[in-house]
Amino acid sequence: MISSTPMIELRRLHRFFGTVRAVDDVSFEVYKGQVFGYIGPNGAGKTTSMRILATLDLPSYGDACVDGFSVVNDPERVRRRLGFMPDYFGTYPNVNCREYLDFFARSYGLAGKERQRALKRVMGFTKLDGLAEKPTRGLSKGMKQRLCLGRAMIHDPAVLILDEPAAGLDPRARIELRIMIRELAAEGKTILVSSHILTELAEMCDQVGIIEQGRLLAVGSVEEIQKAQRTHSDVKVRVLDGAAPLAVWLEQRSDVEQIAVEGELVHFSHQGDRRDEAALLREMVQAGYQIVEFGCKQKSLEDVFMQVTRGAVQ
Amino acid sequence: MTTMDSPFLNKADSPAAPGRPSLGDRLDPLLERAGERLNPILVKEARQALKSKQFVVTFTLLLLCGWGWSLLGIAFLSPGVYYAPAGPFMLAGYYFVLAAPLLVVVPFAAFRSLAAEQEDGTYELVSITALSPRLIITGKLGSAVLQMIVYFSALSPCIVFTYILRGVDIFSIGLILFWTFMFSVGLSAVGLLFATASRSRNWQVLFSVVFLLALLLAGLLWSMAVIQILSAGGTPAYDQPDFWLAILAALTAYASFFVLILQAAAAQITFVSANRSTRLRITMAVQQLLWIGWVIYFWLRHPDDDAFFIMMMFPPFYWALVGALMTGETPQLSPRARRSLPQSFLGRAFLTWFNPGSGTGYAFTVANMFALALTVTIVGFVSHAYGFAGQPHDERWLAFAWMAVAYVAAYLGVGRLILLFMRRFVWGGLAMAFVIQVFVAAMGTILPFLVQLSALGVRFADEYTLIQTSNWAWTMYAILDKDIVGVDYFVYVIVPVFAGVVFVVNMILAAREVAAEREQTPQRVVEDELRLHPEKAPKPAGPQNPWDYDTAAEPATS
Repeated sequence: MISSTPMIELRRLHRFFGTVRAVDDVSFEVYKGQVFGYIGPNGAGKTTSMRILATLDLPSYGDACVDGFSVVNDPERVRRRLGFMPDYFGTYPNVNCREYLDFFARSYGLAGKERQRALKRVMGFTKLDGLAEKPTRGLSKGMKQRLCLGRAMIHDPAVLILDEPAAGLDPRARIELRIMIRELAAEGKTILVSSHILTELAEMCDQVGIIEQGRLLAVGSVEEIQKAQRTHSDVKVRVLDGAAPLAVWLEQRSDVEQIAVEGELVHFSHQGDRRDEAALLREMVQAGYQIVEFGCKQKSLEDVFMQVTRGAVQ
Repeated sequence: MTTMDSPFLNKADSPAAPGRPSLGDRLDPLLERAGERLNPILVKEARQALKSKQFVVTFTLLLLCGWGWSLLGIAFLSPGVYYAPAGPFMLAGYYFVLAAPLLVVVPFAAFRSLAAEQEDGTYELVSITALSPRLIITGKLGSAVLQMIVYFSALSPCIVFTYILRGVDIFSIGLILFWTFMFSVGLSAVGLLFATASRSRNWQVLFSVVFLLALLLAGLLWSMAVIQILSAGGTPAYDQPDFWLAILAALTAYASFFVLILQAAAAQITFVSANRSTRLRITMAVQQLLWIGWVIYFWLRHPDDDAFFIMMMFPPFYWALVGALMTGETPQLSPRARRSLPQSFLGRAFLTWFNPGSGTGYAFTVANMFALALTVTIVGFVSHAYGFAGQPHDERWLAFAWMAVAYVAAYLGVGRLILLFMRRFVWGGLAMAFVIQVFVAAMGTILPFLVQLSALGVRFADEYTLIQTSNWAWTMYAILDKDIVGVDYFVYVIVPVFAGVVFVVNMILAAREVAAEREQTPQRVVEDELRLHPEKAPKPAGPQNPWDYDTAAEPATS
């Protein structure tokens, strides 16, 4: 169920660095319990927007709100509600995991038993219990990532902003991180996560936003974006009695292109939505072709991303 | 560790038997509660320091050098050490041992501690916690103080030993150590200010080198001064009130500058949309009051014309420096800063100048200089009229005071106008403002000198003329040296009139800053504040005092 007040709201956000428009008129909303995937090539403006939301930078124009509080005018109130995990670890020398988390718990104003409870909860959630006494700088990348996630959620914030949390992690650590993020969302946390691993984002996000050159190109659920971008689909047809006649028949159609024959298989690109695909199949059968297999390849988030973005950098 | 399973402890026989908690058991919760109140940065830094190589190496070296000097010094002085007062000689040695970590290592470690956090990105993580910039700075400083205390305690047996050796009294030892401690704390505060000056790695490297060299120089000069005092021998005038008054005056000066430095460091790392200027301006105003108070006090105690010059000699440089920075502030007030603007007539008339902004900064500087000159004038005449002091011998101090005001107003004003013009094309902050002000002040002295040199030749190069009107340094010196004669008296008209025009133009341009009105606190913020602090119920609408009233209590319209 979506509440009426967005937990994260970007209102016509702009951030300029000289002549470079790092973030250019970006607006979107994320509601309680949602996971929002922020996708874009390097230098697209993801980190800049996230830093503004984390109250580490100011927008040139526009505003961003967390739980209704402006990051410009009420950063302290935003900080109480927000946990930020940047794309670097930020560990200290000569500090072990417990001391590290204890320091941040103190810094967020947690005291006494409340702090002990927070430490226990976070170390349990991130499975760092066994590494409590280990120096932070001696941790593996995956463990550091867990520690940083623990730091971001030590004060039990309602909103989590995770910048490339899966970068450099092995497959197992990535899956564990994905599970953690889903668990946090199930607890009612609102999560904004950026990543380059689009297949993972597709699995864990309720909504995604695709940004390039500072501009938000598409926003919505993965299905919605896929639907919006579905102008062509790759179709594979297996037909008995030879594929060549079917290829000839298809060549006469204006909505079909890039036809290729491979034994009993005919591959082609079809313009239209699912209804058009169903109509095409019906017409093929009515034309007397013995179709034994008809498949339309779903566009993955990666395909959509490649279609939406142009790979341009600024 | 709260329990001990030692076979050597018989719990039944021990005084800490059940039902009768031991002193340690009773202290534990108290210490725990006290620990909860400690600055988190201090706790973290103390934990880090105990495990750091730098601390272990410094501490070990300090102990070894202390022991080494004990043996060497005694060997040098033997057999005289049994009958001659050897305290000062031994103390000088121990002082050098202590000065190295106190005046170089600890302040540099404080600088590096904050600079490294900025380089590693950990500062960003700390800055988005509930810790305020002031807590971050004081936490870092507290950690430095803790290290100093550890070093002091390590060498304290040796210092007590010097007292037993005679030749140096306990007051002198105490004063030397006290001021060294204060100096070290001050240097650490400066280190923290340096660390906040830039986040660029290149600048930090440059600052590291400059600061380390400055520390070495300061440490050397300070230590030499202490050694000089120790070798001079004799007992300071502890029985003279003036001695203690001078100590008190020095302490107030130290305290005010110390607070100013800490405020400046905290302001540097405060979020951009927050009000970073008002606290600094309040501190400056207090500093000015302290300065005036002490100078007047000493002048009444020892009536002398020089007091007027002393009173006006230092402030123009001080206000020119801080004014150059204040004029570089951004003229736009953030909506957040606007929420706490004064509203009433009195509040707007007297407190507007404490608001952030380039124009208010300029007006604040000129107003303070004006107030100082006015005070000097009133004190000079009234004290004579009421018989506190004799007639001042000449009126040079009067000219000196008012010309200083005029020059500060004129130069800062011109510099600000250039800055405002340049900001139409390129944005520049405090650094650009400071560079422009220094450039204008330098050109104002160099150009007329060159013009006079080319117009009148080398023969008249050292003669004060009206060409030097813009040369503030020479004019002020000429006033003191009674070198302004004849037609040169026009300088007393030209400079104040020019300053007045520049001031008026600047004030017209600052109208938008001055006219800024308080913005209502959003209802969402008021509600959140009430949830967090229910005890702070909103005050009834309407004026709370003659200076202001709180519009946060009123519901927002949008």
